[in-house]
Amino acid sequence: MTQPRQEVLQKLTPVLTKRWLSPDAWQIGVYEQLDGYRAIRKALDVHPDDLIQLIKDSGLRGRGGAGFPTGLKWGFIPQGDGKPHYLVINADEGEPGTCKDLPLMTYDPHSLVEGAIIASYAIRANRAFIYIRGEAVHAARRLRNAVQEAYAKGYLGKNILGSGFDLDLVVHSGAGAYICGEETALLDSLEGFRGQPRLRPPFPAIAGLYASPTVVNNVGTIASVPYIVLGGADWWKSMGTEKSSGPMIYSLSGRVVNPGQYECGLGITLRELIELAGGMQPGHNLKFWTPGGSSTPLLTAEHIDTPMDFEGVAAAGSILGTTAMQIFSDQDCPVYNTWRWLEFYHHESCGKCTPCREGNYWMVRTYRRILAGHGTVKDLDTLQDTADNIFGRSFCGLGDGAATPVVSTLKWFRDDYLGYIEGRTAPRLSEKSLVGAH
Amino acid sequence: MTDVQKRADQVSLIIDGVEVVAEKGELVIRVAERMGIAIPRFCDHPLLAPAGACRQCLVEVEGQRKPVASCTQTVAEGMVVKTQLSSPVAAKAQAGVMELLLINHPLDCPTCDKGGECPLQNQAMSTGRADSRFKEEKREYEKPIHISSQVLLDRERCVLCQRCTRFSEEIAGDKFIDLMDRSSGEQINVYRDDFFGGAGTGDGQVGEGEGDVAFNSYFSGNTIQICPVGALTGEQYRFRARPFDLVSTPSACEHCASGCSQRTDHRRGKVLRRLAGDDPAVNEEWNCDKGRWGFRYATATDRILTPQIRDTKTGELREASWSEALLAAAEGLKAAKERGVGVLTGGRLTVEDAYAYAKFARTVLGTNDVDFRARPLRATGSPVTTTEEADFLAAAVAGITEVTYEQVENAPSVVLAGLEPEEESPILFLRLRKGHIRRKLRVTAVSAYLSRGLEKIGAALVAAVPGDEAHILASDAAVAEALGAPGALLIVGERLATVPGALSAAADLAARTGAKLAWVPRRAGDRGAIDAGCLPNLLPGGRPVTDDAARAALSLAWKVDAGVVPGTPGRDTDRIIAAAADGTLGALLVGGVDPADLADPTLAENALDTVPFLVSLEMRQSAVTRRADVVLPIAPAVEKAGTYMDWEGRLRSFGAVLKSTAMTDGRVLEAIAALLDVSLNTGDVNAVRRELGGLPGSTLPSPVRPSVAAARAAQPAENQAVLATWHQLIDLGSLLDGDQVLAGTARPPVARIGKDLAESLGLADGDLVTVGTDRGSITLPAAITDLPPRVVWLPTNSPGSTVRRSLGVTAGAVVTLTAGVPGPILAEEAAR
Amino acid sequence: MGTFTGSFKGFGVTFAHMFRKVITTDYPFSPPKPAPRYHGRHILNRHPDGLEKCIGCELCAWACPADAIYVEGGDNTDEQRFSPGERYAKIYQINYARCIFCGLCIEACPTRSLTMSNEYELARDSRQDLIFTKKELLAPLLPGMEQPPHPMLLGETDKDYYVGALTNPGTSVGAERAPISQGDAE
Repeated sequence: MTQPRQEVLQKLTPVLTKRWLSPDAWQIGVYEQLDGYRAIRKALDVHPDDLIQLIKDSGLRGRGGAGFPTGLKWGFIPQGDGKPHYLVINADEGEPGTCKDLPLMTYDPHSLVEGAIIASYAIRANRAFIYIRGEAVHAARRLRNAVQEAYAKGYLGKNILGSGFDLDLVVHSGAGAYICGEETALLDSLEGFRGQPRLRPPFPAIAGLYASPTVVNNVGTIASVPYIVLGGADWWKSMGTEKSSGPMIYSLSGRVVNPGQYECGLGITLRELIELAGGMQPGHNLKFWTPGGSSTPLLTAEHIDTPMDFEGVAAAGSILGTTAMQIFSDQDCPVYNTWRWLEFYHHESCGKCTPCREGNYWMVRTYRRILAGHGTVKDLDTLQDTADNIFGRSFCGLGDGAATPVVSTLKWFRDDYLGYIEGRTAPRLSEKSLVGAH
Repeated sequence: MTDVQKRADQVSLIIDGVEVVAEKGELVIRVAERMGIAIPRFCDHPLLAPAGACRQCLVEVEGQRKPVASCTQTVAEGMVVKTQLSSPVAAKAQAGVMELLLINHPLDCPTCDKGGECPLQNQAMSTGRADSRFKEEKREYEKPIHISSQVLLDRERCVLCQRCTRFSEEIAGDKFIDLMDRSSGEQINVYRDDFFGGAGTGDGQVGEGEGDVAFNSYFSGNTIQICPVGALTGEQYRFRARPFDLVSTPSACEHCASGCSQRTDHRRGKVLRRLAGDDPAVNEEWNCDKGRWGFRYATATDRILTPQIRDTKTGELREASWSEALLAAAEGLKAAKERGVGVLTGGRLTVEDAYAYAKFARTVLGTNDVDFRARPLRATGSPVTTTEEADFLAAAVAGITEVTYEQVENAPSVVLAGLEPEEESPILFLRLRKGHIRRKLRVTAVSAYLSRGLEKIGAALVAAVPGDEAHILASDAAVAEALGAPGALLIVGERLATVPGALSAAADLAARTGAKLAWVPRRAGDRGAIDAGCLPNLLPGGRPVTDDAARAALSLAWKVDAGVVPGTPGRDTDRIIAAAADGTLGALLVGGVDPADLADPTLAENALDTVPFLVSLEMRQSAVTRRADVVLPIAPAVEKAGTYMDWEGRLRSFGAVLKSTAMTDGRVLEAIAALLDVSLNTGDVNAVRRELGGLPGSTLPSPVRPSVAAARAAQPAENQAVLATWHQLIDLGSLLDGDQVLAGTARPPVARIGKDLAESLGLADGDLVTVGTDRGSITLPAAITDLPPRVVWLPTNSPGSTVRRSLGVTAGAVVTLTAGVPGPILAEEAAR
Repeated sequence: MGTFTGSFKGFGVTFAHMFRKVITTDYPFSPPKPAPRYHGRHILNRHPDGLEKCIGCELCAWACPADAIYVEGGDNTDEQRFSPGERYAKIYQINYARCIFCGLCIEACPTRSLTMSNEYELARDSRQDLIFTKKELLAPLLPGMEQPPHPMLLGETDKDYYVGALTNPGTSVGAERAPISQGDAE
């Protein structure tokens, strides 16, 4: 393992992650000692509109993948409409490779609770929900405990800190469906229905949860809010780039020496991040990587110096997504990996729309055949065409995400496919995997 | 974009290079359709909320990165849409989706009922590829599964468009099927518990485990009709025919007064299926299962095809020629005319046939003793001299067509009294529900309990002990308040006749509040019979018989002498029966009446036995034909042309579906009249329609509405209760004979009792309870329901619960309750 | 002279034919054999276990330009099975007074149930007898076949049944000598 150079180490900007290594920071007492619940005292003193303006000024963009400006989203909530408003925090972190919200909720749950209080105050919501992934039992336990502690201390409930503001915060565990990370499916699931994406418009800001104005934000977004309130917009903008401000938690996994979360200002490059993670594993050379989870188009070794901010990654033909970087080396097979991802998308497709439901069924089977050594060159055209028929044709982004790795591996690594087809590469799957329709 | 005129609430857009004006909020797919551009689609249905699930209708919209689903995209000013006709992107997207839809679709087309009329087939031909690139294995499911005794589901054929689930949720309100599982294993299936209110009908065919719920909906057949593939099929029609083999005829439903337009498909002289017709003003595109599947009665084995007369020697009925039978009928009626002939007609008559009876009674028999009401006309034990209902019909119903379905849907508030819409007028129920769901229609129901049907239309209950309705309509503040808004409607059912003063109170309430009043009978012929003059106090056209000018005008039109049409009101059903039973009546002419429907079936049968001469015009063997002296067979609805009048007063004309030699009632009556030297002119439907159209208009003011004092409910003693009862949609009605599959979807008969009675009798849900009168008893499982104190509810005419025959009473009567099955002593006591 | 040559001319055709090959057939003593693809009367074939291949889909009836075919479908049950699958032809009739032997019906048949034989002796002495029913049209039972109704004998599942059927294809051999065509129709 090589030590990162000093100038690279300086690029680390621990903000959201700063308490993660402090022992017992998940307990309210420790959290309060570490600047906890100071931001809400400050926030509850100002007018909610000023808070929204502050977030707008900070340039905070959604950390869930799309990078939509948070202040703008909050501003969409119609005020004085007589309807209840809701804040829903999307903690259904399920994107392959993504691992930034769960450690945050495990090691620093109170920062999320605090952010939720401020955000609810800003949008005038008296009820907020955290929709947490069903499998994340430990994080949910920590979070529930944090909410209880916050209630006990008067940070939640009626008349918070004497401000006259009431807030109930509910932690809701999902039942294990990737689709429920899609905001409208999440709302359906939260309402007790089958988790399927809703028709938009109306957008959640107008008719979201229980047909009322709703803000749906990612965990990282909400957890950033207390720091902005305390540090101010200018401090926040001092990190990152002009259009992509603030720090970002980059989750590195795969063929690096120290996989994990590295919080740096937006705009850092993969080269620097790999260096922070102790370099590539011995004997491995970078071959391809995902900039933000498997739903984002793959990048290759030539993109190693792409600035990892919303604009930079977009310029390279991909999406920043959830900054979940899965690093693959020359010892990994892009075809095999794509198949594994596809099995995931196929399993997680909600089934509502035809392209995603049937297209994934088909592509998974084609991949199995190719990997079992029965592929044909024509299959590659069919795969490309099927992926094209899914991308942009499905109801929500899940279908797009499924088609993405297919399109990018076919683009960058067609020869790896031909390896299986022409018999140069040994089959990775047995005949057995081809039997059966389900 | 300026050369097209448009209003402020319209936008103009360009579809395939053609500028078009559309209403704001309209969907692109509809606008394109209006222009004649057919965009393929599966999940889209004009009467269901958009889903965007199938993605078949993708089109290109300029300025959008991705193709958009035209079934969810609303129009916008200046929008430029390119469909598959002008956009390669849209064409490619549609072809791609079609290929994906087909990869898991089985090649069942040769045996699938939908083959030949299948949107998937048709659109695969228009939009799909000639061959498939899919080489892998297809998904397979066990097929088919029974959703109910009637509806079958082949899951592998399903394209998961969700039309059926959306219909069941949005339109019918019975969430009996839903999506289950996910991904490529997503499927439509049924709930395997009674989570959603099904009472566990258990037709024995559903599912694997106990407690399964059958598809407990009266509208399940619509899901089969709107299924864009052959995933949902009906047991009755499955494998019976192919669509290209069928001859389709527009028709009207003969079952109830909702007036559904239908399509009847037949092959080689046999009706194979019926579908809901598309009539936006009435049934939209829906109908109920009874109308869809209840047509086998016409081919039942007991159908009468040859006239019969009673042999003077043997006293038995024997087959006879038409001329012999007609002569016998004519002679018998002529001989009996002196003592009087009563005419009883049932609910199956068309307007034309009802008119024939009315005219026959007045001109041939010279009597006003004609009544179409084959049901209890008054409370049990009320004096037969009251004419409240007849007066009400004359004043508030005859000739009046004020309330329409459209008004029901758009009304701010509707009050229902004596009417259970889901059971007694299902299409009215669907409209009420549509109003409730889409326009927040407020429904207030004066009823014994909040039934599931009333819950589905969001009704607020004004709980009424049967017999108290009159009092409530006269004095309840909530009811009066609900009718206060302009456009509010008061809808009363025929059952209200059995509550003294209720119809008076209803008419009075409507007049007081300014609400419009609608009267909803149960049968298809009822409303038409009023206007055709099948009432003792009304002549055709709603003219009172007592009015000299009306009689004179009619006599002139009928070309009969002025004295022929009597000027005093005749006897109604109850009084005709009474007169027949005590031997004072000379003869009865009965058309389509089942004595079991009358207030007292035993007395009615007694009357039929006693009357010296009985002529029966009937389609099938019945309690009347068995007692008749002359039986004249007539045509079922499917073999004749005619017109029904629905509860709105809307005419529902239909032509004959099947060619047959069977004659209408009107033609038979005309033949009898001819033998008595009267020219009735009712043999030809068109001639009747012309004659009805040519009758001089009535210029009289509406007769005065009745003012009978409101009665109060009876006071039951210990171990007694007041009886509430109404018909269930699928019951023992003779038009439902011959269809076990349909009967399997009926709601199970239960005796509903309140908590108070359950406690005092020591009964739990499902325990047997016996309801008795001095006539007999009915034993059914108890269902504990939120009823007013000391009220018991029974289905009027369901298996094991024939209230009129077994108990000899009607709603509002006091009955005795005992727990369990009556032992010999109890039964004897009850009999005493 | 002119008369003499004239009569030779006149008989020219006659004489010429005396030396040609005789084309008169000795029917019915030695009936001619038509070409292999001759469109003769139809046969409803069977699966190797005797079950009917016809599924009662009516596509032949639909394809028929002469409206000569009438089919009515019925439900197979476990107790009464006539064909594999759910549906079979309860009624199957071809009216040879109408049939024009165009062969569109056999093109339409999705199961190769309906084929045409080479048999052409279809004259009957009443119109009624020209309506052939399943009794006349079904291929005769070959050795190993069993008269339906009976369960599927080639395999438990559809897949087994049909995969088995590939190695043992059903047949119409001998159908042209079905009892009906050997004598008069009853």
